Amino acid sequence: MREGDQTAQAGQVLEGISVEPQVLVIGGGWVGLKAAYELSQYYKVILVESGSDLGGRMPVQVIVSGEKEELEHLLKKVMENGQIDILLETRLLDTSGMPGGFSIQLGKDGEIQERRIGAIVVAKEVLSTPLVEDYGIGPSAKNILTQSQIESVLACPEEKENLFGQEAKEVIFLVGLKQEGNPLMMERAMLCALEIQRMEGCNASVITGNVKLASNGLEGIYRHSRENGVLYFKLKEPPRIEQDGDRLNIIFTDPVMYEEIVLKPDILVLEEELRPREEDEEIARLLGIDVGPGGFLQEDNIHNLPVRSNRVGIYVVGSLRGPLGLRDGWTDVGNVVLEVRNLLGKGKRVLPKNKVKIHRGKCTTCLTCFRLCPHGAIYWDNRAVISPLACEGCGICASECPMDAIQILDYHDDQIKAEILNGKQRLQLDDATPWIVAFCCQNSAYEAGQTAISFNMPVPRGLQMVEVPCAGKIDIDYIMSSFEYGADGVLVLACHKDNCKSIKGNIYAELRVDNTRNMLDEIGLGRERVEFKTIASNMPVEFVQTVHRFETRIKDLGPTPRSFLF
Amino acid sequence: MSKGAKQVLVIGGGIAGLSSAWELARLKVNVLLVEKSGFLGGHAIQFCCKATDKCQKCGACATQKRLKEVLQEPGVRVHLKSELKEVIKDARFRVTINRRPILIDPQKCTNCGICLEKCPAGAVKRGHSGRNTCLYEIDENECLYFKDRDCTICRDECPEGAINLDQQELSEAVQEVDAIIVASGFTPYNPIEKTRFGYGINKNLITGLELERMLRQKGRVLRPSDHQVPQKVAFIQCVGSRDPQLKHVFCSQVCCPYALRMARVIRHRSPETKVSVFYMDIQTFGNDFPRFYRECESDLRMIRCMPGHIFQGDNDRLILRYVDEKDGGPVKEVFDLVVLSIGIMPGETNKRVAELLGLRLDENGFFAVSNGFKRTSTNQEGIFLAGTSQGPKSILDSMAHAGHAAREVARYLGVLK
Repeated sequence: MREGDQTAQAGQVLEGISVEPQVLVIGGGWVGLKAAYELSQYYKVILVESGSDLGGRMPVQVIVSGEKEELEHLLKKVMENGQIDILLETRLLDTSGMPGGFSIQLGKDGEIQERRIGAIVVAKEVLSTPLVEDYGIGPSAKNILTQSQIESVLACPEEKENLFGQEAKEVIFLVGLKQEGNPLMMERAMLCALEIQRMEGCNASVITGNVKLASNGLEGIYRHSRENGVLYFKLKEPPRIEQDGDRLNIIFTDPVMYEEIVLKPDILVLEEELRPREEDEEIARLLGIDVGPGGFLQEDNIHNLPVRSNRVGIYVVGSLRGPLGLRDGWTDVGNVVLEVRNLLGKGKRVLPKNKVKIHRGKCTTCLTCFRLCPHGAIYWDNRAVISPLACEGCGICASECPMDAIQILDYHDDQIKAEILNGKQRLQLDDATPWIVAFCCQNSAYEAGQTAISFNMPVPRGLQMVEVPCAGKIDIDYIMSSFEYGADGVLVLACHKDNCKSIKGNIYAELRVDNTRNMLDEIGLGRERVEFKTIASNMPVEFVQTVHRFETRIKDLGPTPRSFLF
Repeated sequence: MSKGAKQVLVIGGGIAGLSSAWELARLKVNVLLVEKSGFLGGHAIQFCCKATDKCQKCGACATQKRLKEVLQEPGVRVHLKSELKEVIKDARFRVTINRRPILIDPQKCTNCGICLEKCPAGAVKRGHSGRNTCLYEIDENECLYFKDRDCTICRDECPEGAINLDQQELSEAVQEVDAIIVASGFTPYNPIEKTRFGYGINKNLITGLELERMLRQKGRVLRPSDHQVPQKVAFIQCVGSRDPQLKHVFCSQVCCPYALRMARVIRHRSPETKVSVFYMDIQTFGNDFPRFYRECESDLRMIRCMPGHIFQGDNDRLILRYVDEKDGGPVKEVFDLVVLSIGIMPGETNKRVAELLGLRLDENGFFAVSNGFKRTSTNQEGIFLAGTSQGPKSILDSMAHAGHAAREVARYLGVLK
């Protein structure tokens, strides 16, 4: 059963679990404020901000449109909200416990306070770092601004007057040249360029690699700014920048006219990179969540997007999970409200009893399970304990436990072995037809196989699919038992790399297959009788090709010799 | 349906409709899911897996997963081959749904596939997922029986007697709902409008959507003319998108991702095939894009130029003419297969649905949002948007948008309190 469901199948015994109806929101920027406000309608919220202010910089869309009311109104609603406990200049120092009942330590000026909360939402804003050094420019030059600086100027009427009021200026934006770039940074540059272009006599140009417009409304801004006179140059290499005192020369070959162009801007605006801070990584470490590409606090795992992390009860929204603007951040908030609601309900969750069970008599507290659980769902209290709320039921722990002390509901070792044996009887194979046991992850290969069968694609007569909750549940013991029962070949079919719902289940499965193959070599049965393949749920054709290829190989090898049988 | 429970109409059974239906069902809201075709899953369920040696995060498999989850929710009632006919707003919405008859009885059908095999007009369609409860259905627009009542091959051949071609009466269902989510999706751009490419004339010119289906159904890429593995493939980006002449002032957002990912899949499965990509601007997708794109630049030939006319040469190969990036000179180059990366266009039914519901469309023809901060709300209270009905989106973005829409519906209905 899926985490988050509150219903259970008929016949299941249920148990109620109390949860703390309180949520921690980390980060008091505009996305954090939105998250705090939305969640406060159902739960008590602790809003933690490491700085001394809430809100912070206005997004550039708001600066140029002047529509501040929505954000100001949000700030007011949060400040006046009795359900929200606002803690400024406060940092997260430690977390422990499990979803529904995390214990957290918060620190301010050396003072530490402890709180208990049900769920954690990381909503901090990512740091916007100027790429000054990358462009090889002295940072002190007066006529060089960063993207954030030009936005601050445009947001403040006096500064704007100071910079642009006296004389008309030529402004050049460099964006997406020293990094791949993204729509968010492109939108910021385009909106500022358009705003400057509209000022009497001023001209703005944007020099970029690729114009990044893959977000709603950006093509419109791009066209509109061009119609207003903003020039765009798309270069494969960054331009040469010459600094002579306060004078700047920007030199490049125009890709349309094939001639050298020298631009002499009064102001040069440099792009910024969105990069999580070191302290953000520290937050990830404290929370036990994975850090993904670019240092963002989310592995871009299909199963967890948009806002889940590898741990139940800990969510990441907004720009710390990827270069997202305010609109996308608020879409995340909509999603996180549903996630938190599905986790905490009205303070009580109902789950199937014994969803996962550790036999306390067998457990020797070796902590193998604790170390391997990809969801951080295991803790110990004299013996290892699995939190039923945090457990995703992948079964990696059950397969790796050296004492066989862990069992997953509906996938008990005895059930799986019985199913293998039943399959043999059900198939009623003659001696010429090889019996192939295929362990299939329910998230991928099992779906692909079922689709192949409904489409009447021919599958080997002796194929037996055994559904497992994750390839990480496929115990070496299952593979060896299959051979004991008389299987001629065993397939282990998992999700593609980086697609496992439980992050590492497919990796464990492949490692175990390697080990099993060595064992089969040692006992003389031969490594070729076991194969590991990855397949997605929407690959029925590849599923069929894989099982047929394997059947051909097994036919060539001949049946498992009787001497190996149980 | 339990007493007092709220009911929401979701228009469209693609990934956005499925996602919002599922989120609402988890909140114990009843959902009426109306899909105009015979199958759930929309466009996304037809897409191929784009993994090379690892997952490329396209999200196509997520549709299969979401379909499975929705079908397990008792709170979601599905009406296939159905469309909205009328909406009357009073305290709730009184909606009338037109239901076309299901011609192949799913209770009797054993999925033998004989009808699909025997149909001379290709009018029998199969769902793209084994999870489609009705696995086969007949498209009335293509069926010969619906033209002149002459052909009854499928009915005669069906061993189960599951096909009834004569039940042509529309049936109507009238329902009271408390809110509506418009998740009616998009229409792929029809490149026949771009006559210079010669789509429909040039045999080995296909669309990105056709390539998706080919990879999904055959597992590899073959030239339509001779079923040979192509040695040289070209992708042309921005076909129908970002086109001021067509008044399409939007980026479709999905074409760079699908083209580059499928180009890598082609190279992964047949390394001898060379792939070129013609583009205006390559769009960023995913946090790992910098690494992914570096790999693309070494694996594929990236050419910043939109080719002109395409002609068919010897052996049905295609001659592309474009401008050399280095010196601006004209180049003529021959390819075995050309893929047009067609974009996401507003849904064909948008105008009709907008009229029925009193909704505004934006300048491009997508449904307009009420303001920039409220991306799922419309000018009508109680009516919300999810997925590409609002504007181009990837599968994963559609899912996030649909989740947001479900949250807004829940707020509107007061069901979270």
